[in-house]
Amino acid sequence: MSNIPADLRYTTDHEYVKVLDKGLVQVGITDYAQGELGDIVFVNLPKVGDSFDEHGVFGVVEAVKAVSDLFCPLGGEVTEVNGALEADPGIINRDPYDGGWMIRLRMKDPDSLTALLTPEAYKAQLGE
Amino acid sequence: MRWHLWLDRTPRPGWQNMALDMSLHARAARAGDGYLRLYRWEPSCLSFGRHEPASKRYDRGRIERLGLDTVRRPTGGRAVWHAAELTYAVAAPEAAMGSLREAYHRIHHTIAAALRSLGAPVHLAPARRAAPVDAGACFAAAAGGEVVVDTGKVVGSAQLRSEGALLQHGSVLLHDDQSRVREVTIGDPAPPDVRPLSQLLDREVSWEEVARAIGDAAQPWAARWNTVVDDEDLIAEAEMTAPRFRDPSWTWQR
Repeated sequence: MSNIPADLRYTTDHEYVKVLDKGLVQVGITDYAQGELGDIVFVNLPKVGDSFDEHGVFGVVEAVKAVSDLFCPLGGEVTEVNGALEADPGIINRDPYDGGWMIRLRMKDPDSLTALLTPEAYKAQLGE
Repeated sequence: MRWHLWLDRTPRPGWQNMALDMSLHARAARAGDGYLRLYRWEPSCLSFGRHEPASKRYDRGRIERLGLDTVRRPTGGRAVWHAAELTYAVAAPEAAMGSLREAYHRIHHTIAAALRSLGAPVHLAPARRAAPVDAGACFAAAAGGEVVVDTGKVVGSAQLRSEGALLQHGSVLLHDDQSRVREVTIGDPAPPDVRPLSQLLDREVSWEEVARAIGDAAQPWAARWNTVVDDEDLIAEAEMTAPRFRDPSWTWQR
């Protein structure tokens, strides 16, 4: 059974969004996603200042057996990147929702949060 | 959805094989078609995983002195020596094949059925995490859902998911034992626990025989298959991505 924190929002592509402050969110992949991928060995993330549209590819993650795109849950500008993942991408496996966060975004449209999946809807998508 | 089967009997160099697989992936993403390509390599080639730290892990000087061909795959995973093997590639929309593990299971289930039809007592490894990247070359450890006999791997596979389509390709070892990978690995890696098909069947086995068995086992994927003969358009499309796979600075980027 995957860990699906109640205070986050989710996408059908298995990214999560955590609201940090007004207009600022933290993005990463879910516990289910890290479990599907297996041991993550590499992550390629954008630079501070890069902008993405909703569903834009903001990076790439590679696990032992697969390479996969990372999709931006919301449109916005990157304000911070988790530099710790470069040296130790396995943090994403061990702690996807805290230490394993990937980017922080200044949202273009804070109202777009409402289009994301609730924990209940994400849980239903996983069939758990 | 249309499925295409390509028994690509022309042995090709590593750069062209990877470029062709990427062209199939692009077509799957663009047109929503599915492809099963079965192919081989000439010359034999050492391939690295997409982000594998090849420069740290393998002795480039020794590889060059031995005159070995090298290529970096677009998919994940670790090094594979492509010699006496049949290689498969499946490119399809993600929606048609399901999640990463579902796609792995479906493809490996088909390959295992093909190998069993030839008499090999293979099964799928029980679900568990893949081995960590430091565990060695691709065939050094089996992940859950891979095609194995006892604990040894018969098929090594890797996947790319991008632009709404997946590419999974993998090696069915016919005769090779992957000792070449160990020979060029820096340090003293453990010997890979591999099971080439000829050893399992206790007889010689041909590429053609295995290709036909996999093509037959995949028939339930589609009501009707389109048979691809050497597709000149596809080969021309592959020229677009070929420069990257031919470039040593890309192959040895990490």
